[in-house]
Amino acid sequence: MEVERILLALAALLFAPIVGGALTGADRKLTARMQKRIGPPLMQPFYDAVKLFSKQRLIVNGFQSVSVSVYLASMALSLVLLVLGMDLLVLLFVLALGSVALILGGFSVKSPYSQIGSQREVLQLLAYEPLLVLMVVAIYLKTGSFSASSVMSLRQPLIYSLPLFIVTMILVMAIKLHKSPMDISGSHHAHQELVRGIYTEFSGPQMGLIEIAHWYELVFLLGFIALFWHTNLLCGALLALGCYFAVIVIDNITARMTWRWMLRVTWLFGIGASLLNLFLLYGIAGR
Amino acid sequence: MFNFVHKCRKKSPWIVHFDAGACNGCDIEVLACLTPVYDVERFGIINVGNPKHADVLVVTGTCNRRNARVLRNLYEQMPEPRAVVAVGACALSGGIFHECYNVLKGVDGILPVDVYVPGCAPRPEAIAEGVLMAMERVEQRSREPHSQMQAEPAEREERR
Amino acid sequence: MQFMDVASLIRSVSPGALIGILVLLPALSGLLVFAVRLNAARVGIVIVTAWVVTGASLTLFLWGALEQRSLLFTPPPVGGVSWDLLILLGDGALLLIFCILGAARRSPQIFALALLQAGGFLWLEAGMKPPHAHAAPLAADWLAIIMTLIVSIIGMIIATYALPYMRDHEAHHQIHVSRKPRFFLFLLLFLGAMNGLLLADNLLWLASFWELTTLCSFMLIRHDGTEEARRNADRALWMNLLGGVAMIAGILLLAARGEPLSVRQVLADSAGGAAAQTALLLPMACFCLAGFTKSAQMPFQSWLLGAMVAPTPVSALLHSSTMVKAGVYLIVRFAPAFHNTYLSDVVAFVGGFSFVAGALLAIGKTNAKAVLAYSTISNLGLIIACVGLNTPLAMTGAVMLIIFHSISKGMLFMATGVVEQHMQTRDIEEMQGLVNTMPLTTSLMVIGILSMLLPPFGVLIAKLVALEASVELPALLILLILGSTMTVVFWTKWTGRLLSSAPSTPRWGIERLHSMYLIPLLLLTSGAVIFSLLVVPVLTQLVIPAVTQYYEAIRPTAAQIPPMGEVLQFPWLPFALTLTAAVLIPLWIMRARRPQVRDVYLCGEQVSGLPTVTFRAAGEEKTELLISGYYFESWVGEETHRRWMTAVGVALCILLFGTASLWK
Repeated sequence: MEVERILLALAALLFAPIVGGALTGADRKLTARMQKRIGPPLMQPFYDAVKLFSKQRLIVNGFQSVSVSVYLASMALSLVLLVLGMDLLVLLFVLALGSVALILGGFSVKSPYSQIGSQREVLQLLAYEPLLVLMVVAIYLKTGSFSASSVMSLRQPLIYSLPLFIVTMILVMAIKLHKSPMDISGSHHAHQELVRGIYTEFSGPQMGLIEIAHWYELVFLLGFIALFWHTNLLCGALLALGCYFAVIVIDNITARMTWRWMLRVTWLFGIGASLLNLFLLYGIAGR
Repeated sequence: MFNFVHKCRKKSPWIVHFDAGACNGCDIEVLACLTPVYDVERFGIINVGNPKHADVLVVTGTCNRRNARVLRNLYEQMPEPRAVVAVGACALSGGIFHECYNVLKGVDGILPVDVYVPGCAPRPEAIAEGVLMAMERVEQRSREPHSQMQAEPAEREERR
Repeated sequence: MQFMDVASLIRSVSPGALIGILVLLPALSGLLVFAVRLNAARVGIVIVTAWVVTGASLTLFLWGALEQRSLLFTPPPVGGVSWDLLILLGDGALLLIFCILGAARRSPQIFALALLQAGGFLWLEAGMKPPHAHAAPLAADWLAIIMTLIVSIIGMIIATYALPYMRDHEAHHQIHVSRKPRFFLFLLLFLGAMNGLLLADNLLWLASFWELTTLCSFMLIRHDGTEEARRNADRALWMNLLGGVAMIAGILLLAARGEPLSVRQVLADSAGGAAAQTALLLPMACFCLAGFTKSAQMPFQSWLLGAMVAPTPVSALLHSSTMVKAGVYLIVRFAPAFHNTYLSDVVAFVGGFSFVAGALLAIGKTNAKAVLAYSTISNLGLIIACVGLNTPLAMTGAVMLIIFHSISKGMLFMATGVVEQHMQTRDIEEMQGLVNTMPLTTSLMVIGILSMLLPPFGVLIAKLVALEASVELPALLILLILGSTMTVVFWTKWTGRLLSSAPSTPRWGIERLHSMYLIPLLLLTSGAVIFSLLVVPVLTQLVIPAVTQYYEAIRPTAAQIPPMGEVLQFPWLPFALTLTAAVLIPLWIMRARRPQVRDVYLCGEQVSGLPTVTFRAAGEEKTELLISGYYFESWVGEETHRRWMTAVGVALCILLFGTASLWK
């Protein structure tokens, strides 16, 4: 049993970057197609990452390396914790730890771009964290336990009873993956006024590590969504990919908004939708 | 293994574009590369707008005494391996401003240029090819470590 | 064999003597310091007291661990005079002092409240003839022992730290006639009073120690004697006197119902059925109100904010181990009495509201001590929210928070104080790039800050327990979720300012600090780290027994703690080690292969080789880059929110009494 779990964790650590990278490649290809372009090859994210690792190590200060390393470690850890079916609340805080580490890395450099990016990333954290915690609470109310593995004992998939949380999850994904209209702290493309925001001062291998952390994060988020349809692996995967597709579409049809707008939408609409779902489930049907 | 790294480098040239005071003809052509018609992203080229992430410095326009420093500053912030592509007649030699008192007669007086893309303005296809060739040049340079291109720019400036 | 010897040695120690040391020794040392005005003597006395009191609290702790029972103790009379009478006289003297202070400061509130309290007290003693408490006036169960341990150790560490701090403080403010004797008198007296408060079982004794902490905090807040300090001290005094009045009112109500004035007996009586519990709700509401004032919950938050004018050791003491924790302790203590009532829910919402409001207001503050103050209010709110949930699981979270918050907050205040003495500023903006000038202090400070908000540190684990416990009350849960994300915002912003620095090669040098600054800082930081690493034993050996022991005595049916498997079984230690590796590996790589350092990207206009980040602006002029943080003044400014927050706080307090008296 113990050996099995370790193997599972190792498999997650090994394969998640491959899956995440491939999905990112598909994302870029899809985005290009939506813009009537041919787009880069599917392998492009891997080329980029290998190239970044082969570049010279330039830093601004030493803390950057620590921040990137902690960011990567906590993203990988949160995925491992999810795969092992650990406590979901702990998992969210591990995720937050990673974000805080990256934010501090951005703050540690006295550069206008990276600092403004970090300030905005803090606001992004403020926007999506309540939604994620509410989601975990909703799962708890359904299963009576905070552990991810308890979802597996449910007979019905969560999506039947918690459909609105898929909507809030799309919001969370848009913010976490820095997609429009929530790409306010830095995005995968350069911005006019912010360059690359929080990522501006990370270069070469550090940037490569950040890319890999992003892939872990992507797989983690998709895995989290797949929990909502645990009874059928295929349905779960399709649900997750469907959400990802929705995020990509929204990315391509919207422009970047301000942080005030983001907070308004996530707090009023996102928290509202979560509460509405919980209310419909427990307020009317009775517990 | 090294071949794979080189392949990856060639397939992922990220550029930072510096306009050293062009008439904007070349800049528009550089931007045209990003449009769906030319779509340089299919070669992995991305305009990152930040020397710290870039592999290729694309320079358009006439370099002069004022912006030579900026150009050097940008180049200094790019991690190795890096390349410089001079785009358009002005960047190559100063173009029609060649005789002006403040013009430095081409980027190669300041930085080691790997690829010259001539034209006024060059076609987007030519610019894209220039960027891709720059990565080839980088690879060649890494095989012959003490090539001419590694010479200090200041030294070359003196030679002129 | 050796262990047995130690065990029997500890068992043979008279616990009464330990309590005597814990309560009386600080007071006596304080008087001694006041009388002997020599610098060297003061340093010696404070350090010796610190060691002895720490040793006594540790011995009491070991005694409790070995004996596994509560200690009941009646101090022997001194020279034929019983302690009951002495305490009574002491309380009378205190109330007299408050009345005189009110008259001297021309403050009608203080005077009226002190008079009211004195009136209540007289009525109780003369008019009511309170039923004599048969139980011993002092009692130490596991909870009280743990609290004493925290208060004594952290308090004494802060007292040691105050020695060099007050020297520098008086040097900077050019105070020629030293006021240190008075300062240390009240500082030590404060710690003794706090220990007394924790160990008191007789409610009159409890109230007397309560008033004594009020007096000590008043004297310490106004220590600098500036107009602002006096004003803020007055505010602290009247708010705390209001709490004192609530306390006397609670005692009067109890006496009127013929209850014995003993905490244990009141709690035992409350378990005697629904009717008995209902009858006790109104006095419980009074005690809760008293607790809210002392721990600066929302309508009363302003006194704690004002208290930051005091020298930093005072703030460290008020915020971490004494004063505010006294309020929380009182509510924790009486929680089983209002288990499963609406009153309990209201208490939870008072805490939850303060949690969110404090965190929100902290976002807008640039003064480091103000941020720390709001964070204290916020964390105490969380503790009180847990107490209001009133399940053993929530209580576990509350006690954990008390422990870990005390350690981290004490440490953060001390670090802020060190920075203040070196840089003459409390402003977070001016601490920008502190990591370059004071790398050691900054590192400790950053660890302290991170220990307040990130896993695997104890505060966060306690917060997890709190969140998991609060699913019972979904509306409260929302407050806790919002509050805990806001907490991340202000701490992260502050840490960002500390770390924000110009390009530099990694250096390994550290600044020099006075050893009496450094040792307390190191002790508390390593305490925060070690206790967090050992979170599972801390939880199973200290916190859970404390909660079960005192819950069981009162409500055996409610005392079953849910298994907490998810928190306990989580591999915290491997997790912490992985993260440590993630921090150390890049440092090690950097040490082995130094990376090249480049300037920050400023559109190619950067100027290299300067200690500051500089760029060429218009006209080739070299201009230093200035960056400051976001504080969202218009969004979370104090002025914007003060009115409605106070209104909500007052409304909640009214609701507290409403539910206690009407809505049972």
